[in-house]
Amino acid sequence: MSMCVGKSAIAMVLLVTTSVTQARTDVLGQVDYELTAYAEDATYGPDAGLKNSVALRGEVYQDWDDGYQSITFKPFYRWDENDEERTHGDIRELIWHKVGLGYELKAGIGKVFWGVTESAHLVDIINQTDLVESIDGEQKLGQPMIQLLLERDWGNLDLFVLPYQRERTLPGQDGRLSGGLAYDDTQYESDQEQSHVAVAGRYYTYIDQLEYAFSVFHGTSREPVLGVSQLSGNVVPYYPLINQLGLEVQYLDEGWAWKLESIYRDGMPEYSIEQFGQRLAVLQTPSGLQVADDEAYWSSVAGFEYTQVGVFDSRIDLGWVAEHLYDSRQAKASLSAFEHDVLLGTRWSFNDAEESTLLVGMLYDYEYQDYGLSLEGSTRLDNRLSVDVEARVFAPSSQNPQFGLRDDDFIEITLQYYF
Amino acid sequence: MKTVLLLTLSFFMAAGALAHTPQEKGLAIAEEADKRGEGYQDSQVKLRMVLIDNNGDESPRQMRVKTLEGAAEEGDKSLMIFDTPRDQKGVAMLTYTHKAKPDDQWLYLPALKRVKKISSRNKSGPFVGSEFAFEDISSQEVEKYDYKYLRDETVDGKKMFVVERDPKDKYSGYTRQVAWIDQEEYRVWKIDFYDRKNDLLKTLENKDFKQYLDQYWRPSLSVMQNHQTGKATRLEYEAYEFKVGLDERAFTKNSLKRAR
Repeated sequence: MSMCVGKSAIAMVLLVTTSVTQARTDVLGQVDYELTAYAEDATYGPDAGLKNSVALRGEVYQDWDDGYQSITFKPFYRWDENDEERTHGDIRELIWHKVGLGYELKAGIGKVFWGVTESAHLVDIINQTDLVESIDGEQKLGQPMIQLLLERDWGNLDLFVLPYQRERTLPGQDGRLSGGLAYDDTQYESDQEQSHVAVAGRYYTYIDQLEYAFSVFHGTSREPVLGVSQLSGNVVPYYPLINQLGLEVQYLDEGWAWKLESIYRDGMPEYSIEQFGQRLAVLQTPSGLQVADDEAYWSSVAGFEYTQVGVFDSRIDLGWVAEHLYDSRQAKASLSAFEHDVLLGTRWSFNDAEESTLLVGMLYDYEYQDYGLSLEGSTRLDNRLSVDVEARVFAPSSQNPQFGLRDDDFIEITLQYYF
Repeated sequence: MKTVLLLTLSFFMAAGALAHTPQEKGLAIAEEADKRGEGYQDSQVKLRMVLIDNNGDESPRQMRVKTLEGAAEEGDKSLMIFDTPRDQKGVAMLTYTHKAKPDDQWLYLPALKRVKKISSRNKSGPFVGSEFAFEDISSQEVEKYDYKYLRDETVDGKKMFVVERDPKDKYSGYTRQVAWIDQEEYRVWKIDFYDRKNDLLKTLENKDFKQYLDQYWRPSLSVMQNHQTGKATRLEYEAYEFKVGLDERAFTKNSLKRAR
């Protein structure tokens, strides 16, 4: 009897040992085929019609040390039929990760997301936006970093050293959503240009249904200020050194999710140089670069999402999203800012076997009295195949920086195959 | 003979010799069932969830669940990791069960690296398109229900307690549940779920129980049948592992981002 117990105890120990120390290896791939239909010729650039694009994504993961250490590699490449700027590759991640007791350490190229709101991601600043990938700014380039995370009773503290700045990808003149803009060489405030080392930190915690975070960033801005060259007439992307304080708050109260993101930033040149009947932040003249004064500003997104579970006696969850965007610079705000806008949206979760979702939104600028519409849907065709649909309508007024996109309305279908 | 008598006596003590009203006896049964499941420390299991529609068409998905037993007054913590369908790979859900207040729940979406807190208001909603609601898959803490012992019943030669339990949470999708619990091992074999109109909505059946570490019983198969839609969901469990040495590090909000 005791023999039996002994044996099973040994068997148990063996079982435990193997299950914990088994290293894990993952090799995964994904191909996206993207078909986009444009109804109108662009104001500047390509004609109406169907455009093709293909993207390849890979993921290789290996861990050891009972899974407490790992390396992840995520390469990415896109080929685009029209826009050579959009035909591009990137290392999304190549990072070593160690998990200790109460701390985590990462080194390499990584990706980090900060934020809670839908319509804009103000606080999110670690990674550069891969703008040619998606106009919503949610696709990011890999960022070289060393990250130390402290996970303690008093909350979480994330500390970053970011030794290199990536340039934002911008659509080429032959591509859509470019506004027909041509770009000159990028300019930096820092003499070290892209090698200027940025530092950042974020503290976050939660109390019951309240989650909040404070963040700081010092370094080269991820958002370029767009200036003009007197010499070529082209756009000059300029990256200033900035300081940013960020706040994120989310409070869940039954069906309500209340959200707030706010930043306070200094170092961004204001759009205050008058030239060519336009307001510029940066002007390249024969004598050199002229940069407008900067003034500290703050910007915020605040709103809620209210979810009705099982609406109309069905399985469908229906969410209502309302957010207000504000920028204290108002007319002097940078081109990509939302100075005075309201997002009204509705989110449908069908809760079917395919987990279909649909998000429809309208961003309304109440001062320019113009709007943009967006629709994003997704469903699954089978275990290895899913499909996304995205559509956007741009109706900018002539004062709106997005005026160049007025003929770029599109519908896009993306098939995603996983292997 | 004396031993048998003692055993019988202690059994009745546990099951409700002290309980006089149906409410007290129902609670005593739930507490005893809970007590028998205590001390497992941690567990992990791979499972296959099969969604079956009215035509009998099946769509499968695979996931893993890791659970950490709550110390003293805390509820269990669980981490659910999705492997297939492939568009869901890497999606992970972390739940902190609480006895007295609503659970905390976070969902991780790997494509955006975004951790989203889920409102407990969603608890009655379907879990990943299945016939299981969020509340059906979360840890069943004793404190979350009011109980009422209904009757004894013999099913397939097994003596069962039939106990009604009423969710205390006003956002539960159920007015009441009726559970069949065997009197020998206190395993839940079947639960009838009644919707908010008090109509029979679903039946859960647990089958092929296996015992682990000479103590913990787990079903190898669970089937949830929706009587109102004709759809069903099957959960097929692979072997459970207990006391694998999982620690708190695998159950933090940050751990979601590296869950594999």
